[in-house]
Amino acid sequence: MGLCAGMMPAAVPIEFRKQIAPIFERHCVRCHGAENRKGDVSLATSADMQSIELVIAGEPDSSHLIDLVSAQDGELPSMPKEAEPLSEVEVDLLRQWVEEGANWPAGIVLKEMAKADQSWWAYQPLKVTDQSIDDFIRAKLQEHHLTMSPHADRRTLIRRLSFDLHGLPPSPERVEAFVNDTGPNAYKRLVDEMLASSNYGERFAQHWLDLAHYADTHGFERDQRRDHAWRYRDYVIHSLNEDKRYDRFLQEQIAGDRLWPDDEQAVIATGFLAAGPWDFVGQVETKSPVLRRAARSLDLDDMATQVITATMAMTVNCARCHDHKLDPISQQEYYHIRAVFAGVRREDRVVSDIALKNYELRRQELLDQRNKLDYESGRLAGEGLDLADIVGGGNGFGTGTFRNAIDPRNAKVQTRDFGKLGNVVSNHFSPSSFEFIDGVFVPDGGNGEIELPVSSTGIMVTGLPKTSGNAWDMIRNGPVASQHSPELGGIDFTTDGHSLLGLHANAGITFDLKAMRRVLLAIDELGVSEHSQAEKHTGAALRLTANVGYFGAVGDHCADVWFLLDGRRVVEFQKLRREDGLQFVDIELPATAQFLTLISTDGGDGYAMDQIGFGDPRVKLAVPPPLTEATRRRIIDLKKKRRQIDHEVELLGPPPRFYGVVATDEKADVRLLTRGNPEAPAGELLHPAAFSALTMLDPQLGTVETSQGERRAALARWVTHPDNPLVRRVIVNRLWQWHFGVGLVDTPSDFGFGGGRPSHPELLDWLAEELLRQNWSLKAIHRLILTSDAYMQISHVKEHVYSQVQGVEQGGDSVRPMEIDAQNRLLWRQNPRRIEAEVIRDSVLFVSDKLNPKRGGPGFEDFTYQDAYAPIYTYVTADDPAVWRRSIYRYIVRTTPNRFLATLDCPDPANLTPKRLATTTPLQSLALYNNEFMIRQARYFAERVKQQVGEETVAQVACAFGLAFGRQPTVEEVRLAVELVEQQGLFTLCRSLFNSNEFVYVD
Amino acid sequence: MSIDRLNTRRHFLRSAGGGFGGLALTAMLSRESLARPHHTAKAKRVIQIFCPGGMSQVDTFDYKPELEKRNGTPFDPDGKLQFFASKPGNCRGSFWKFRKRGQSGLWMSDLFPKLAKCVDEMAFIYSMHSKTALHGPACFMMNTGFTLPGFPSMGSWVTYGLGSEADDLPAFVVLPDPRGLPPGGIINWGAGFLPAEYQATALDTTNSEHPIADLFPPGDVPEITAANDRAGLIFLQKINRLHQEKRRETSELDARIKAYEMAARLQLSAPDAMDLSKETTATKRLYCLDHSEIGPFGRQCLLARRLVQRGVRFVQLYCGAENTTAKTIRPNWDSHEDLNRDHGYWGAVLDSGASALLQDLKQRGMLDDTLVICTTEFGRQPASQGGVGKGRDHNAGAFTAWLAGGGIQGGVGYGATDELGYQAVENPAYSYDLHATALHLLGVDHTRLTFYHNGIERRLTDVHGHIIKEILR
Repeated sequence: MGLCAGMMPAAVPIEFRKQIAPIFERHCVRCHGAENRKGDVSLATSADMQSIELVIAGEPDSSHLIDLVSAQDGELPSMPKEAEPLSEVEVDLLRQWVEEGANWPAGIVLKEMAKADQSWWAYQPLKVTDQSIDDFIRAKLQEHHLTMSPHADRRTLIRRLSFDLHGLPPSPERVEAFVNDTGPNAYKRLVDEMLASSNYGERFAQHWLDLAHYADTHGFERDQRRDHAWRYRDYVIHSLNEDKRYDRFLQEQIAGDRLWPDDEQAVIATGFLAAGPWDFVGQVETKSPVLRRAARSLDLDDMATQVITATMAMTVNCARCHDHKLDPISQQEYYHIRAVFAGVRREDRVVSDIALKNYELRRQELLDQRNKLDYESGRLAGEGLDLADIVGGGNGFGTGTFRNAIDPRNAKVQTRDFGKLGNVVSNHFSPSSFEFIDGVFVPDGGNGEIELPVSSTGIMVTGLPKTSGNAWDMIRNGPVASQHSPELGGIDFTTDGHSLLGLHANAGITFDLKAMRRVLLAIDELGVSEHSQAEKHTGAALRLTANVGYFGAVGDHCADVWFLLDGRRVVEFQKLRREDGLQFVDIELPATAQFLTLISTDGGDGYAMDQIGFGDPRVKLAVPPPLTEATRRRIIDLKKKRRQIDHEVELLGPPPRFYGVVATDEKADVRLLTRGNPEAPAGELLHPAAFSALTMLDPQLGTVETSQGERRAALARWVTHPDNPLVRRVIVNRLWQWHFGVGLVDTPSDFGFGGGRPSHPELLDWLAEELLRQNWSLKAIHRLILTSDAYMQISHVKEHVYSQVQGVEQGGDSVRPMEIDAQNRLLWRQNPRRIEAEVIRDSVLFVSDKLNPKRGGPGFEDFTYQDAYAPIYTYVTADDPAVWRRSIYRYIVRTTPNRFLATLDCPDPANLTPKRLATTTPLQSLALYNNEFMIRQARYFAERVKQQVGEETVAQVACAFGLAFGRQPTVEEVRLAVELVEQQGLFTLCRSLFNSNEFVYVD
Repeated sequence: MSIDRLNTRRHFLRSAGGGFGGLALTAMLSRESLARPHHTAKAKRVIQIFCPGGMSQVDTFDYKPELEKRNGTPFDPDGKLQFFASKPGNCRGSFWKFRKRGQSGLWMSDLFPKLAKCVDEMAFIYSMHSKTALHGPACFMMNTGFTLPGFPSMGSWVTYGLGSEADDLPAFVVLPDPRGLPPGGIINWGAGFLPAEYQATALDTTNSEHPIADLFPPGDVPEITAANDRAGLIFLQKINRLHQEKRRETSELDARIKAYEMAARLQLSAPDAMDLSKETTATKRLYCLDHSEIGPFGRQCLLARRLVQRGVRFVQLYCGAENTTAKTIRPNWDSHEDLNRDHGYWGAVLDSGASALLQDLKQRGMLDDTLVICTTEFGRQPASQGGVGKGRDHNAGAFTAWLAGGGIQGGVGYGATDELGYQAVENPAYSYDLHATALHLLGVDHTRLTFYHNGIERRLTDVHGHIIKEILR
């Protein structure tokens, strides 16, 4: 650039744009630009410069500008004030330019230049020298007269590896096995074993999800559930476990739905793009288009920032309102990147239509099988026919559909909710086509005078009261529309094992007892009961049992319930109210009875709230058939089969939906937004493009016509292009950080000017190149790092670490590494590390032996959920194995973080978290010592110890130390611990061990 | 072994010597402040009252006679505007009569009869506005300077900058409304990307024996006795010291040992701060503690005074909630359908508590170095919500915040809205300016209070913020 130009012969005229503008932009415009005009001086345009006569064309010696930037009399030049002076070459260029007439072509407006340009180290191709990790580390140490520390002992190494790779302590057995492993390459074999374990993916997925700011709710004001998000979390775990190529891993997450639409995992991978927060109120609820555009703009910013910082560690978000102040990312380029994502929005979607169809088919198949089994075992066990199920279109043994219904006006089957029914004709009997239902009607007894039909055979009754003649909703298998509650008398009749026949007044339904008897006695034909043929011919006595009640709200309303047998009233409840609770009925239905009628009438006070319900209504044989041995065996067999199917249904899990992105309805029109303001778009439509700073790659990702899917696919290809040096540098640096606590670049998501510089640039490049050589295998890089001497060093300071300064005789000055490199950036030892919040929790469960090993699927909920305008999540410490799964499977709520974990530094998923912080606070002490979860687990820990070694105190102490620390206690520790256990009990010891520094710090 | 003792925890601590109290108390609760103040501070501590939901400016502090005049005429005759939830209806004058108050003669409506008597202590910023009219993002902006979640709240920044004054209480305490959390939830007072040590401690003010989560073990654990609670800790510290012997260079290990000692102090001091029994009858009456509706907020205000008295640096209290299912009166100031009802209710709550706080601080000579800030996330429209509705829709264009004490000049107003109170037109001020001013009073230059995060040296005031000198003493 300018520097080279300055050495050219003066005969070549100065070119302003190339040679002079960069000088102004680099040194002057920050203070003297269009925005900042310090001292009323601006060098933004030619006019600005002329207006203050800074320069006299052709006369450099008379030009104030040249004075200002030239050193005089040994004094520093007066400008620039707050930065390094211009180089001599630059001053000479300026002089030449003024001499040639200070030509500044019109239209060139200067802006402050970023601190870094394309020549920034991170954007350069990899420089690869063929060495090993330890060569690089040792060389750097040697420069500072330092040496590596010795290897840690095996006990320390296995513990370190286990926390690093699994996020769990090693079991005492595994520790002993490794310590006593005399075979060759014991350590390497251990590394391989641990990398092969599924615990690895569960551990490293957390790191990746931190970068994706993953959570299971939307966040913002109405923090609604995102129940299908977990599939992306499982995808990450699975991909890491199978060591998916890292380039493919990224491609899938950016554009898997486009690149491999038939690969379910690749489609689910795009959950990455949707993992961050989403503002329902701003994007959907508000009617204001201005507010919507603002929310959408921030939404796209979040998506673009996440993708670019996670993969490339470029802080692209800094260029939303203006050009990046530090890095060569123009504001325009930022909006080019936005154009990649502007065509998508976050939404629940199906993995694929075929997957959903297959899922539903399979599920229906299983449910059908289960229904058949229920039907048969119900009949065999004499459980009788469920009238609610029959109303729902079922066979009486559970095949009916919950909340399906029959219309009391015409006996039609209905599935949707109704309110007040129109066109009601009272006392019109409509026959039903259902096997067990004779028909339905809307009753109005007209003060007992009207004769109304209750069967298809013309049975008429009188004596029913006058009603309003109104009817509400249907006769339902389940609660009726707007039912106050499905609960009465402490029983929620919609829960498993219960059923409810909803019969809002005014309505009546007649069942066909003959048909029921046929089915109930048919078991004889199977030859399994001992009913006589005679009984079968003459019919058998049945009985009806049910819990009847008023399910409407408490208040001034009531209704009547009537039971009729062949038109004869057998049981009735008049003016029934909610306060009356459940009425148990047990009605004998003689062998000759043909029709059972259930009626609800409105109690004479209007039909509002008159939600009459029949809980668990069943018709069964009055005398249950004695079961033969064969029947008993058959029932056991059926139950076993049912359990199998239950298991299969459970395995089938929730439907194949996930939270990802879909194409927006609108066209993805993106323009530069002036100062980031969504109401101030400017300039042309922007096509999708990547960053020009990486000069080895073509930034074009398409035109304004390119589809949203192709835009993302193009970005995915650009990001993972083998010539892209940044992506590989960034990921190997992250891996390094996850094994040493600090990366070679200590700002893992910022490789720009504002971030750190690599402590070992050659090593970083070597690892990045190695990743490509090893086919993008992350596990290969893990292996290289974990088997290095650098990794295996002890983490504490030992006297003999001090090396001799070269050339100094023995007894000369030794160099103390703590004084030279207290931060240990040169890695003269390993870094001790506090384990993260989730690792503490998981380790506690591991040691107490309560860790639930269930992998994958919907997250466990350690809170109660209450639906509301803004849903309420209340954390509870349940004593339940279901919530003792690994923390990676936790259902993460954005607005209401788990307080226990947050106190232990679990980050807010609103933020992209490239690096966990570890703080030390009194609130952490309180949480670990007093939190209910900790207390309970300490109790289980103590129980486990007792179970393992019995009541002998010394053995208990040894066992507890072994489980918590993977080592035996020292003599002093034994003395202290035995005294504690003898005086205060084993629980107290276990509680203290969970709180100890050794438990939460890894050497 | 008796379970009873756990029911009276202070008794448990003091008589039986249980809890962390049995340890040698050698450490400070909070480390000394890292940063020296940038300049001499006028205020040592802050009490911030947050009124979530959007307090109307035109019914409270911002007197608009022109709005009264146009009462009933269309606000937006062209029908071009679209508010958060509605098209604007007619102009609607204040629901309460405005009067000139105090020596300063500033206007305040009859919604705040008690606060009106404090007007000469208060400085009003009439020209506040926000970048968004959505509750969640606007609350975030007022608390953190950003409309997105995940940024540190002002209390966290102040704690990060100034550390703690107290050696036995957290530096940053939040008293949420007893009815529930504000819009956006507890991350309103989160530390964002700042280290967790700067996060707020939320006090459960309905549980004065156990105001901080996990302050004591749960009450129903038969294994825990006062004696073993203490013995366990003594043992813990002993094995921690043994463990540390070979790892002297790792200072975090030592810090962690001290943290357990600090926790001990908290077990004594937190319930003590919550114990109102030693407050005089006059004080209790001042805060209307016995009143069923306005008493709970009065209690929060009194607790805020007690906390700053004990050296807490930053107390934030909420006058209103969001995440509740209450049906009759809106759970916060968000008065879309019946402003008279909802502002009427919340107005009385704020009026009583805030005026008592100002008087009490003044009587004790604490107002001089305690900065009191009262704000909301945005204002409300001068028009009715839809036609002749009885409520008002959200308005990001204008709202009023007030400050008092700690270097604030009383009885002054700053900035102005247009003649209808629709938008800030004279000296419009964002949260940045309010925050910059508050930090200035605390001796902190807002442009120099920074923390590196993902590529940027972040500030509470982003790249903005002007100190509002006009309201300073």
